[in-house]
Amino acid sequence: MMTLVSGGAGSGKSAYAESLILQSSAAPRIYLATMQAWGEEGRQRVERHRRLRAGKGFLTVEQPLNLTEVEIPQGSAVLLEDLSNLTANECFGGAGFAGAEERILTGVDSIRAQAGELVIVTNEIFSDGVTYPPETAQYLDILARLNRQLAAQADRVVEVAAGIPIFWKGENP
Amino acid sequence: MRLIIGGAGQGKLPYALRTYNCTPADVAETFSAARTERVFDRFHAAVRATLEAGEDPQRLTKELLQANPGIIILCDEVGCGVIPVQPEERAWRETVGHLCCDLAEQAESVERVFCGLPMRLK
Repeated sequence: MMTLVSGGAGSGKSAYAESLILQSSAAPRIYLATMQAWGEEGRQRVERHRRLRAGKGFLTVEQPLNLTEVEIPQGSAVLLEDLSNLTANECFGGAGFAGAEERILTGVDSIRAQAGELVIVTNEIFSDGVTYPPETAQYLDILARLNRQLAAQADRVVEVAAGIPIFWKGENP
Repeated sequence: MRLIIGGAGQGKLPYALRTYNCTPADVAETFSAARTERVFDRFHAAVRATLEAGEDPQRLTKELLQANPGIIILCDEVGCGVIPVQPEERAWRETVGHLCCDLAEQAESVERVFCGLPMRLK
């Protein structure tokens, strides 16, 4: 089962995504973290998410780039958080914009092949009406394309607003 | 008239072409071209161009609907960011938002596309 969870900042998407993993019978639970914690705010964000997961039996795997390198037990319940970060890391670091979309899709395929349950958190950052500089616009375009392609592959697509899940595809387990 | 909204890059155009059996040749991106085509894509951008040219997008929209009452209008949602500092940017966002409300009221259907997936709002 693959679920794509999206929403704005502070929408409750992380907590909802985690609840899907907790409801799943797949094991072990893997938190696949893509964020590179820069600075104090980044560390606080990581700390907040760690507290949210404390005592829930997650093994944390930190992988900001190159998802194909990840090896996890067959049948794991994987919470991949998050796609917008991973895309930024691949585009602005790593091997750059060229081929970023394909690298990420291949990486997700590789995780999916190992996972019994996969929940991917992404971001809704496409409705602000701002014209961005070319590099940022290209990043947004790649992320939007990834969202669409993963949504097409997913069994469930959920937008979370104020902590409430809205089902664009599939239904609540 | 039908209205299809959604964030940038969500796949509104492919959805509209697929769902309403249109081809890229049926798509207009300006108020004048939209009078004779089935699909008006990037309505938000046309509104911006209109404002920049000192024209009235409300009037042009009204005339468009009289000339082409069956048109399918696609518009980005542009109102969910921080309020822009520049007055023209603010005016554009608000005009697009208000026009979408007017269009939605008159529309036979309103759909929102998210990650390529449609949801019927009306």
